[in-house]
Amino acid sequence: MVQLKRLSIWIGYLVVMLVLPQFFDSILSVSIFNQMAIAIVFALSYNMLLGQGGMLSFGHAVYFGFGGFLAVHTLIMIEFETVYFSILFIPLIGGVFGLLAAIFIGSFSTHKAGTVFAMISLGMGELIAASSLIFVGFFGGEAGISGDRTYGPPFFGVEFLRDVEIYYVAVFWVFIATVFMYLFTQTPAGRMANAVRDNPERAEFIGYSARKVRFISFCAAGLFAGIAGGLFALNYEFITEETLNATTSGRVLLMAYIGGLGYFIGPIVGAVILTLMNSLLSNYSDLWMLYLGVMFLLTVLFLPRGFAGFIMMHQVAWVRGTIKQLALPYLLTGVPALLVMLSAIALIEMSHVEADVLQFIGFTLEPALLTDWLMVGIVGTGSLFAVRKSLPRLRDAWDSANTIPSEGGS
Amino acid sequence: MLEIFIFATLNGLVTGLLLFMLASGLTLIFSMMGVLNFAHASFYMLGAYFAYSVSLYFGFWMGLIFAPLIVGVLGAVVERYGLRRVHQSGHVAELVFTFGLAFLIEEAVQFFWGPDTKNYQAPDILDFPLFTLFGQEFSAYRGFMIGISLSIFITLYHILTRSRIGIIIQAAITHPNTVANLGHNVPLIFMGVFGVGTALAGLAGVIAGPVLTTFPGMSIALGSIVFVIVVIGGLGSLAGAFIASLLIGLLQSYAIASDVGMPELLNLLGLEFERSHPLNDLWTLNLPRIAPILPFLLLVLVLIFRPTGLLGKREE
Amino acid sequence: MAILTLNNVQKNFGETAIIRGVSLDIEEGEKHAIIGPNGAGKSTLFHLISGLYKVSAGSITFKESEIQDKAPYEISRLGLARSFQVTNIFQRMNVFENIRCALFWSKGYRYSFWHLLGRQKELNEQAMHVLEQIGLTDKALFPSGELAYAQQRALELGIAIASGAELIMLDEPAAGMSHSEAETSVQLIHKITEGKTLIMVEHDMNIVFNVADRISVLVYGEVIATDSPENIRSNASVQEAYLGEVATSA
Repeated sequence: MVQLKRLSIWIGYLVVMLVLPQFFDSILSVSIFNQMAIAIVFALSYNMLLGQGGMLSFGHAVYFGFGGFLAVHTLIMIEFETVYFSILFIPLIGGVFGLLAAIFIGSFSTHKAGTVFAMISLGMGELIAASSLIFVGFFGGEAGISGDRTYGPPFFGVEFLRDVEIYYVAVFWVFIATVFMYLFTQTPAGRMANAVRDNPERAEFIGYSARKVRFISFCAAGLFAGIAGGLFALNYEFITEETLNATTSGRVLLMAYIGGLGYFIGPIVGAVILTLMNSLLSNYSDLWMLYLGVMFLLTVLFLPRGFAGFIMMHQVAWVRGTIKQLALPYLLTGVPALLVMLSAIALIEMSHVEADVLQFIGFTLEPALLTDWLMVGIVGTGSLFAVRKSLPRLRDAWDSANTIPSEGGS
Repeated sequence: MLEIFIFATLNGLVTGLLLFMLASGLTLIFSMMGVLNFAHASFYMLGAYFAYSVSLYFGFWMGLIFAPLIVGVLGAVVERYGLRRVHQSGHVAELVFTFGLAFLIEEAVQFFWGPDTKNYQAPDILDFPLFTLFGQEFSAYRGFMIGISLSIFITLYHILTRSRIGIIIQAAITHPNTVANLGHNVPLIFMGVFGVGTALAGLAGVIAGPVLTTFPGMSIALGSIVFVIVVIGGLGSLAGAFIASLLIGLLQSYAIASDVGMPELLNLLGLEFERSHPLNDLWTLNLPRIAPILPFLLLVLVLIFRPTGLLGKREE
Repeated sequence: MAILTLNNVQKNFGETAIIRGVSLDIEEGEKHAIIGPNGAGKSTLFHLISGLYKVSAGSITFKESEIQDKAPYEISRLGLARSFQVTNIFQRMNVFENIRCALFWSKGYRYSFWHLLGRQKELNEQAMHVLEQIGLTDKALFPSGELAYAQQRALELGIAIASGAELIMLDEPAAGMSHSEAETSVQLIHKITEGKTLIMVEHDMNIVFNVADRISVLVYGEVIATDSPENIRSNASVQEAYLGEVATSA
């Protein structure tokens, strides 16, 4: 029964990924799906380090980028017929080199977790990012290097000219990578990674070298980051130094954290949300990075377990069937909260916009008019007041929905 | 040769002392609260920007006084309403929080001041050569930077070793729980130290802004270097941070000023490679080009061979 | 035959000598208690044997191999398990996972990333069996960090004994427990160490005299007496150094 349920989740995951382009078939949406696919594998691999192994890395892009560079180099080799195989296997090339890089760096960086590990990862990340600008022959300097995926032998007639064809390649690899990363958590090595995260000292007294346990997780994370890098190379057909520098390392940390570190699906949620925000919001506002920063800080402050954690918080109420009691209080606080957020954004955009009018979710606002400022301001403050008023009620509803009525002690 | 050496030393000293102003605050904060403040260099950047804005209306000297104060207050607010809350979720969450803060501050700076470089200038009064050596000028402003940094160092040292609050802080560095048990208001001390630490970073930004240019990327340029310094010096060790600051400052300065590299080394070994050699990039490397990565190389080496840093004692 | 031999073991922290030359033979199958006043170095001695600290001088032999330079995980693999005075469990994992992790190495899984745990029937049954022994069967899926104190202590013991080690070292298994809880834990200790060698540090004299075959008294880093419980009870110097102190302060 449990097994059947689990299997159906996996099949659902695969089916959703496969049919997505049938419903959203524009070039833009396919390109967003491709980005999501890459981000999902990358963020899941990051969670192997931080969420499951307790290793905070500021340099995970190294394995992503290194795998990606080798993948592009392989594309070039295919183009010049140095090697001959289907580009379907390019992500695997990325994975192998991500793994090799992780074996090398992990051999000295996994000695300790905590701050020491974080600092080594930062140092190595900066070192390699800076070196990549020096070794122009391999990394191509600021311009990066590019290949062409269409030169490889066709795969059953598919020549990979269109992005949607790459999307199906990506789905194949994302599914495989997700399955294997999940299975890893169900093995002794994966469980011991949790144990070492919780208590490295005790792990040593049940026969395990904490360092070796970390090393194994680290290598696995490198492998999957490399696969993500290979997918990146296949999708964009070029790669620059940016893929292995601190910006990319930071972004994957953001994704995993916003999604929720403690849950396997957390990074998937985070990857989807951030990719969507990145692609959609950046069209509407050049301030989206500012909003992203605010959202990230608010998540760290108020949802330490991320979005997935927020969803899982409702498990008790769901099981007990009291979740219905929460609907109205959520609505009463949520709607004004949304209004507060929107008016804040409107004010920020009004102060930033250079044109005379600002089109904002169907309203036309004129930054030159004091009345518009006042109007938005009043809506914002009014809603803030409503949030403060309704918050205690939400809190009470939450408590009553989640408290198990006492059945004589416990 | 000698002139290059002397000027490289002086420039290295300027950079090193500047780095120390950032590193001292970061070290204090780490010692007290166990938090490596990722956003530290962002406060440095804020210092430069506030000083620029103040200087537009009231001149450089007002900026020198008020910008660090504004930054310090901002830092205290961040500690009170941000860090203290995250503290319950553990060290990783704190580190991630300051990381997010650094991200947000960079975006906020671009929002308020725009993405372009600001024309933040040193005051006219200091715009003259302090001395001329071998025909090269050393500007008075750089002398002023050395002066400010050294006086900060001496003041800090005196406060920490002579005053009552300094002794409490020192005790809190090594025995945080005991200090709390003695009835000192540790949260307030934390807030104060965070405020002072960020104010120091702000001050460094004020005086560095005119020389290193005031632009939204200035925190990234320095941020990770400062991290490197406190780790190399030994987390929580002020003296270690001082040595490491000067070490990194001088190292980079000498590397940039020197003109030796692989070609010279290969010459010495009597080896020669064609330009078309696949490792051509390696054979043509020289010190000025790898100067930016030297600190990180040093960091990785120190962490591998001496994880506690040069003068650090405390393992986590 | 001695399963564990300490030969003139010394430990200094800087200038301070904490363990000043301890020599001790632990016979196979015996239940040995180490008692002594606070600060005598009992926990330090445990840390030295189990490899958490490195000895300053002397040697420790376990089952004919010298272990004083080995890492804790190597010593553990030889069949020496220990518990801690301060509860030391894997807080974010559930109770069942805690025990199952403690079983991995002895069941030969090593660093395997190719065995799926759901399919390891024997391993899972064994883990449930250990849970039954320590009385936590109904808490199997409970987050271990949220257990009640006495239950955490039981889990602490469970992790130590799960691997089936021949030599078990318990560091104050009843620390901080009420009288009735301590009673239960005595029964538990009897049950789980049956047929094994036990070394135990404990302050509660009821437990010590109830469990131990032999007792060593450690005072200021030196063993001043090793003998049967009856003889220790009547030993004048022990009375003076330790028992008297406890009797008056209790």
